[in-house]
Amino acid sequence: MFPVDTAIGKDGRMHTVSRAYVPATAQLRITMYDIDSEYFGIYGGYGERVGEFRWPTGMAADAEGNVYVSDEQNNRINIFSHEGDPIKHWGAAGTNEGQLMGPSGIAFDNEQNLVVADHLNNRIQKFSKDGTFIMSFGNSGEGDLRMPWGVCVGEDNSVYVADWANDRIAKYDSSGSFLRAFGTSGSGDGEFKNPSGVAVDGEGYIYVTDWGNERLVILDKDGNFIETLRGQATISKWADEYFEGNYEEAEPRSRSNLEPDAGQFGGDPHEESAHIEKFFWGPTSVKIDDSGRIYVTESNRHRVQIYERTR
Amino acid sequence: MVTTSPNIKLMAHLLRRAGFGSTKEQLDEYLSVGYEKVVDGLIDDLDSSRINDALVRRYFPDQSVTHDTSGAGSYWLYRLVSTDSPLREKIALFWHNVFATGYTKVTNGKPMSDQLRMFRSHGLGKLDELLLKLSKDPAMIIWLDNVDNHDGAINENYGRELLELFSMGVGNYSEDDIKECSRAFTGWSIANSDYIKELAIRNSIMPYGKLAWRYEYKEDDHDDGEKTFLGRKGNFNGEEIIKIICEQPATARFISRHLYHFFVADEPPVPSWPYKDPQDMGAISILEKAYFDSGYDIGEMIRVLFKSDFFKSETCHYKKIKSPAELAGNVLRTTEEFGTPNIRISERNSQVTFMGQQLLNPPSVEGWHQGLEWIETGSLTERVNFASQHLGDLSKPGVRKIVGNVIAQAGDSMSAEECVDQCLSQLGAIQTSDYIHNTLIEFAEENGISGIDLAKDKDTAIQKISEVISVVASVPEFQQS
Repeated sequence: MFPVDTAIGKDGRMHTVSRAYVPATAQLRITMYDIDSEYFGIYGGYGERVGEFRWPTGMAADAEGNVYVSDEQNNRINIFSHEGDPIKHWGAAGTNEGQLMGPSGIAFDNEQNLVVADHLNNRIQKFSKDGTFIMSFGNSGEGDLRMPWGVCVGEDNSVYVADWANDRIAKYDSSGSFLRAFGTSGSGDGEFKNPSGVAVDGEGYIYVTDWGNERLVILDKDGNFIETLRGQATISKWADEYFEGNYEEAEPRSRSNLEPDAGQFGGDPHEESAHIEKFFWGPTSVKIDDSGRIYVTESNRHRVQIYERTR
Repeated sequence: MVTTSPNIKLMAHLLRRAGFGSTKEQLDEYLSVGYEKVVDGLIDDLDSSRINDALVRRYFPDQSVTHDTSGAGSYWLYRLVSTDSPLREKIALFWHNVFATGYTKVTNGKPMSDQLRMFRSHGLGKLDELLLKLSKDPAMIIWLDNVDNHDGAINENYGRELLELFSMGVGNYSEDDIKECSRAFTGWSIANSDYIKELAIRNSIMPYGKLAWRYEYKEDDHDDGEKTFLGRKGNFNGEEIIKIICEQPATARFISRHLYHFFVADEPPVPSWPYKDPQDMGAISILEKAYFDSGYDIGEMIRVLFKSDFFKSETCHYKKIKSPAELAGNVLRTTEEFGTPNIRISERNSQVTFMGQQLLNPPSVEGWHQGLEWIETGSLTERVNFASQHLGDLSKPGVRKIVGNVIAQAGDSMSAEECVDQCLSQLGAIQTSDYIHNTLIEFAEENGISGIDLAKDKDTAIQKISEVISVVASVPEFQQS
């Protein structure tokens, strides 16, 4: 219903987890599909048992294709097979090392350990795949995090964090030492407002879902601003099928202007995105697959926009 | 019974009416500022952006996109319980009831939320500007069919209600005036109107969610011909019609009566106003004068109202029944359950509905009738259970704070009467009848509060005091404003 993250699993299969209207918990689930809109089914659901979650947030797939899902409300990590069968969960609430308070974004490092944005503890924790605590960092000095959301790991095992409440991307080395931060508060080039996700490609380019500004920002490996994308969504195959069966909506839609001048919305990106359908609205995560494709999950538009590098 | 000073009673009265009540802690802060300055601050505080929208949207995509009443209603409730500008939310509740627009027909939470945002921004401003915003409001345009009001084929729905329910009241205009008013608003529409109407009818979110709506003036669909409206002739467009409406003494009377009804004392339901005079004609006259003196400024009318003797008089204290939203705002601000957004806000929003007020979905274009109509067997039970359950819940930080304050005021022990008086004081200087006061003392006595050694058995005392607070929340004076 309200997708918040996507994991790219084995054979390019996409696993997208959705939150739901809070009372409509039946809509809380993970959907499996691929880039050609082939649908493979759904799994997961509301609750606290194995295979269930209440506030799913982050996703990552390990080298075997198993899918890991963080749950901010139950304070745990759920593990599913490539086919969506529940395997186990681990994690416990608390503030001590190894305990979690609102686990958000997750990512695997090069040693197949799981990096977790422990957002209400304002830190990053690293665990083995089975949940054994390895280290925590990001809660002191310059690298002090405030409500971190998305995380990713670079080729050199460095950790990038979407430092949500600090409006920046923070970078740490593999041992958790703070290296540097990218960006300052704002909506200009090289500025962020509550970034939600971060991904790094093979050449070191950094992709940031600048959630509060409703955009995708691209930086080079040194943090220099390259480009901003506001969103260029087209009609998906599933949407096409819907319109084929619902002429009453398709016909007046064909006469509608869904790309009005953004200038009339007072410079508020949330409002601009609410009115301009192709724009990102609520971009909660960015992921990159092995071929370099960029996947942006948008909670408010119920879709994933996929981009390819052109240069 | 502890004697409460008139100043404290008056400030508590103001905070119940202009906001959502107060704890003793908050009341003391306001008292240190002084009544007149507090009134000015409530009206002039233009900062309605202190709610951390980003925090809400991070946790609740449904409150970010606000497709439906659940997400949009929960978001509004979160604002009610967390705002630092309570009069902004109160005035939004006021206009939501006067310009009652409902989700049942709009079937899209975002235009409803946009309308409320407009009420927050303009609800304390000039009436002519507010009516202009209202006439361009997409939710209203769909709600009262102005989207179907065309040159040569008028739809009178908006024109009629603009005069009957939004400004002048029945008996102050003719059927011809309605027609001419409607002609003036032809072409006041929304963009993509055919698509929007279809989506609204089908309540469709496919494929990429509900579209946001925006006003669009369709000049080629506007009737630019000469009109005669309330005795004036001209090629009026909607702006001129609103200007003429705001000049009318009937409008001053109608708005004054609404403000009195909401902030001072319950008047009979609006449909009976043509046949029943206001209960306090002197007060209405003062408000009418403020209306014209200020150039139709609602904030200035409310400033006069709050500073008037008729508002300050103890004869109108506790003479209103809190709406479910006001009651929930009062209780949940006291319990401090939502210091940060959490998953229970949706459940609380549902409880407001069970008490008889589904936010964003008034029962008709007349809004809720208020007063005693809030109280019926089922809703009264819900109200009492809601207040008692939450204010007696020691897991809530605000409740623990109040209990701690009660204990801090006592020595090694406290009498049942001291306990009751402290609880009433901590919940915002609540004044009860002698009968209720004695009944509360009897309960506290039977509950064993007076026999507890506070130094040795603090845990028992905490539990017993929370039970007294829970019962205090059920008395009529807590349910009243």
